Amino acid sequence: MRETFSTAQLVVPLIIVPLVVVVGYPSLFLLALRLTPGSVEGLQGFLSGFPDSAIPAIAHLTSAGRAAYVAVVYLFAGFFLLVPVMVSTVVAANSFAGEKERRTLEGLLYTPVSDSELVVGKISAAFVPTIVFTWGCFAVYTAIVDLLGIPVVGQLFFPTASWWVLMLLLVPAVSLLVISIVVLISAKARGFQEANAIGGSVILPVIGLVAAQASGLMVLSSELIAATALLFALVDAALLYLIVRVFKRSRIVSYLP
Amino acid sequence: MGIPDEGAVEDVTDARGEMDGPAIEVGGLSRSFGPLVALDSVDLTIARGAVFGLLGPNGAGKTTTVRILNGVLDPTSVTKLEVLGHDLRLEAEAVRPQVGVQTDTNLYERLSARENLASFGRLYGMDTPSSRSRADELLEMFGLTGRGGERVERFSKGMKQKLLIARALVAHPRLVYLDEPTAGLDPEASHELMTYITRVSREAHTTFFITSHRLDEMEGVCTGVAVLDGGRIRAAGPPEQVARAAIPRVRVRVTPAAGSPMTAADLSALPGVKDVMGIDGGFAADLVEEGAVPSFVRGVVALPFDLLGVAEEPPTLQEAYLALVGNHRAPAERQAV
Repeated sequence: MRETFSTAQLVVPLIIVPLVVVVGYPSLFLLALRLTPGSVEGLQGFLSGFPDSAIPAIAHLTSAGRAAYVAVVYLFAGFFLLVPVMVSTVVAANSFAGEKERRTLEGLLYTPVSDSELVVGKISAAFVPTIVFTWGCFAVYTAIVDLLGIPVVGQLFFPTASWWVLMLLLVPAVSLLVISIVVLISAKARGFQEANAIGGSVILPVIGLVAAQASGLMVLSSELIAATALLFALVDAALLYLIVRVFKRSRIVSYLP
Repeated sequence: MGIPDEGAVEDVTDARGEMDGPAIEVGGLSRSFGPLVALDSVDLTIARGAVFGLLGPNGAGKTTTVRILNGVLDPTSVTKLEVLGHDLRLEAEAVRPQVGVQTDTNLYERLSARENLASFGRLYGMDTPSSRSRADELLEMFGLTGRGGERVERFSKGMKQKLLIARALVAHPRLVYLDEPTAGLDPEASHELMTYITRVSREAHTTFFITSHRLDEMEGVCTGVAVLDGGRIRAAGPPEQVARAAIPRVRVRVTPAAGSPMTAADLSALPGVKDVMGIDGGFAADLVEEGAVPSFVRGVVALPFDLLGVAEEPPTLQEAYLALVGNHRAPAERQAV
């Protein structure tokens, strides 16, 4: 793991994307609402798209407070999902392909570690840091939106139940799917860049769709998010079962120099 | 380097008497990569406790052979593939824990030398305390104790090479693959490694499978060699046997005393002599057959010249290798695949 995280190629997904999504967007939006309350007028069309049931009964909730609530709880959820997706893609792409590039993989293949242990180990080695990192980002996001948002909304409003479900169920389920696919691609790729590029092109459109729908999911109910997570978990289980059955180290060696 | 100071070598004979069969038995091994035939009907039998050298130019198929013999690459076809008494196609998981491999790969640069060794010990099923103590043992054996805590990225090429060899030995393997093991080592360390290999193969019946281009070293340490070229075994057997078969000459070196007036013509006149060449410090006489050696030696001694020595000069492995490889491919064809 220490080898993986020493790669400069991880700077964009691990630093820049989280900085923009977790810190930049919410800070700028909430600061803008606080400093220029009139700017909320421009958001009326957007806000009217959200049903009243989507916003809890908060006493003396202003238009700015309503906009803050909608953005923090619903709008940014989709952006936030980009964090685990990008992190997991890049960490998983680095698994086999990164080891090939650093020429450490062949030594590992000669050890008694079984084929299934190898692939499950690589998936776990990408899954654990992805989840820990995403939860860390969630803590930062929570701190920022509460710090800047409470004066606008008027009370502590974040995290909501649906965000807990998002973090505890949907993020792990989606991450595992991304990682499983990218680890498989990584096993066949010649290097990190190739694995990352192929992984990204395969994964991002699918995840983009999920991210785009996330705001809508959040509005509907926590139960629906949980059901979506369950669906992903079922796909994960089927995919992992297949991977463990078909993965063979000799197929990786065919791609070594 | 301190390699010969490992202390008592563990006897690895097991209760099932597995020492009896060969360490490696391969028949009809072929492997192709698309149109390229990397190995073509290779047969190999390597006894337990042997130090076996697989020789061949770049692209000959040595790496492919090692990968297949470790079950990390599938052969295209094979009739027999047994390692340490197990059919590798069915029981690779029973073989791997008994095998150590050093190939042209890298260590984990951001980890320390000790962490590199201990982590591999754990991959071989050792518990954490055992893997750490084995790592310390190996660091001491290879003279790296003082650097054990340092990240490998700071190591010299020779130190990394020692560590790669140490890593192959971490789980007390019964079969060790070494790929160009002395590359990057200084002459003293190379000599100590060769001495260690000889000792461990004799005392613990550990089998060594070495690929190398250093033919002089291989000749000194190997009990058996095979020359692989173009995916085929061109010759196999003990080094001297391979050399004699490939270079069917009988040569005797004659070293006259300094200032002696001996000439090539004096030697050419003796019975059984085919050719005489002047070499540094004397003459090399090629005889018509091995049976001519005694009468030739008597004839040389009877000449009225002072001598420093008369000795048969058997063909070297290097000469045999060049003859065998040169017979099959022009130098321009010998390139990495």
